[in-house]
Amino acid sequence: MSDPRAWPGQLRVFADYQRDFTEQADVVVVGSGPCGGVAAYELAAAGKRVVLLEEGPPFTPADFTIDGALSMSRTMREGGLRFTGGYVMPTMQAMALGGGSLVNSAMCARCPEFRLDEWSAASDLARTRRKDLEPHYDAVAEFLGIAPTPDAVQGRRNLLFRDGCKALGYSSEPAARNVVGCRGSGECFTGCRARAKQSIDISYVPGALRHGARVLTSAQVQQIHVSGRRATGVSGQVVAPFGGRPAARFRVDAKAVVLAAGALATPILLQRSGNLANTSKLVGEKLQFHPGTSVVGVFPDPVEPVFGATQGYQSLHFLREGFKLETLWGPPVVLAVRMPGFGHEFKRHLLDLRHAAVWDAIASCRSSFGRVRERGRSLQPSMTWRFHPDDAAVLGRSVWVLAEIFFAAGARKILPGVAGLPDELGSLAEAEVLRRRVPGAKELVCASTHVFGTTRMHADARRGVVDEELRAHDLDNLYVVDTGVFPMSPAVNPMFTGMALAHRAARELARRV
Amino acid sequence: MGLGILLAAALGTALWAALRALAGYPPRDPALIVLSPREAAFVTAVADAAFPPGGAIPTSGSEAGIPRHLDRYLAAQGSRNRRLMRLLLAFFEHATLLFPAPGASGFRRFSALTPAQRVAVLEAWSRSSLRVRRIVFTSLRTLLTMGYFESPAVLRATGVAPLAMETPVVDADLLYPRIGAARDTIRWRPEDRERPVSRAPLDPHGPLHPDYAARESRP
Repeated sequence: MSDPRAWPGQLRVFADYQRDFTEQADVVVVGSGPCGGVAAYELAAAGKRVVLLEEGPPFTPADFTIDGALSMSRTMREGGLRFTGGYVMPTMQAMALGGGSLVNSAMCARCPEFRLDEWSAASDLARTRRKDLEPHYDAVAEFLGIAPTPDAVQGRRNLLFRDGCKALGYSSEPAARNVVGCRGSGECFTGCRARAKQSIDISYVPGALRHGARVLTSAQVQQIHVSGRRATGVSGQVVAPFGGRPAARFRVDAKAVVLAAGALATPILLQRSGNLANTSKLVGEKLQFHPGTSVVGVFPDPVEPVFGATQGYQSLHFLREGFKLETLWGPPVVLAVRMPGFGHEFKRHLLDLRHAAVWDAIASCRSSFGRVRERGRSLQPSMTWRFHPDDAAVLGRSVWVLAEIFFAAGARKILPGVAGLPDELGSLAEAEVLRRRVPGAKELVCASTHVFGTTRMHADARRGVVDEELRAHDLDNLYVVDTGVFPMSPAVNPMFTGMALAHRAARELARRV
Repeated sequence: MGLGILLAAALGTALWAALRALAGYPPRDPALIVLSPREAAFVTAVADAAFPPGGAIPTSGSEAGIPRHLDRYLAAQGSRNRRLMRLLLAFFEHATLLFPAPGASGFRRFSALTPAQRVAVLEAWSRSSLRVRRIVFTSLRTLLTMGYFESPAVLRATGVAPLAMETPVVDADLLYPRIGAARDTIRWRPEDRERPVSRAPLDPHGPLHPDYAARESRP
């Protein structure tokens, strides 16, 4: 094994910045999340001089905290307390080296063929069908060791989902994840203490450093610079971890600029840099989410949910209907918030946690859109989003399906978490109310971490921000490689598809720069 | 004459309302970083209404250290979040001056209500037919639950305390210092990556994470 300290790349942390500075690069990549990490690595591996900028710090295991609330306040933007306006819904985006991969559950699902066909038809795409992306999915999968979650670390709460689906004839499968050597701690959301999750900070970023990339953390990009149809670089300010205290200023001049700041931050950067790349007037528009809701099932015997992969099992059975089912675990405090009531009743419910499994559904909305703008000059998003009744009905139906699976798996009761219904439903017959009266948006408790659509890809410059190469229609050397480019929902978790698209775009860009 | 009486009555009412709203709080607790005496009184009152002593989990909200946790949590937030949270606390504390709790003395701030009245107020918020009211209640309950679950005793009682686990050293550990530290503080060496570490699946009945192993409280 080589010594990483001898690698040609350079990593800087907050303590390294003493004064203002300027860097030169072939390509500057803004954002070190899954998509930016892939792009930076591929470009560096191709011999390009790469500067990767990340606003957050690198987290070491000593910086992880298992306390879910504290962890969220340290790893998430705005302390993990972001929410949409319009339909009020929490949404979380990470701020750390590796972006969301540090604190997500590592699910890697390939966008189904039927959905990529829809993308292609709707956005006049010529080479973004499943067969076109397959080599890029494969390359990322090989690099990250993406593989189905083994039974040995599923834990009972995941296997019960499998059993329930099987009893009802619904297909299900172990979730493929970028995890190697999982021990089943269920701690994906607070940072993997087992170092098994191949988050971008311990996979692609070190890979980029090995190939000579310069990785600047605590570097907040505030401006994209352009001259005519060309981006010339970016500038911004060094900010202290957590508090955001400003320090040195910086500028990076580059032959190409790659934005991978995420579907909320990238459009804000374009807007505040002079409304760039916006001939289509779609920068920041068509904001889309995968709203998710969960159901808790309580079983007669202890499930011991503290053991098992965080999200080890899934069902793609209902993708065409518009929802995906998953198992879920997280910091106990986050799950406790999901339990009903308060006082002694709440305490009794908390004792159910040991007997509980939590399963969730995410909806791939067709009619729910919003927009994002910068809140003042804060670089933070102000979002409005409307949950269309048709999409809410799809998610509402999933609650009944989850109830069915729970009772088929032997649950003695479920906690549907639907306003206006009893806190607990003790049998499938009682749960029938979920089928008869499908919960709507106002009755569901939703959250979402999957965001996309705000810099959508379209062959026509009037109908999209970037083209199929992910290059801005309006600028010759500015690329967007995050999930903002999705023209519509990928129907499954977006990370893997974002990385596959970034992989392709970076390889093509490497040949051009 | 009539106007004078009206003015005096209005002044008296305003004074009464101000006293109800603002007077009679205990002095500031020097151990708290940002919570004001008013906020601390409210948090203590609502913590024990949400998590009363005894019952399925013996630890009460105040015993679990909810006020202390919330104080630290607020201190760690950005100014906007902190303002919003403080607004939430102030709103709940004084909402009963406009929408009284049940009983003869219901027109009091939350922290001055009886324990039974506090429970009734929370019940009304949690069961409201208005989504926005339920969201406000859920926000408050979330803040309290975060504090409650910081207590190792609570986590052990619920059976979901985290398990002990070794952390191997990987390439990245030789590159990244702890947050806030300089790179020359990295103590790992290349050979540390060779240190044998178990890769076996965890035992759900195995030892707990040291921070959560049995003892009464953390320092």
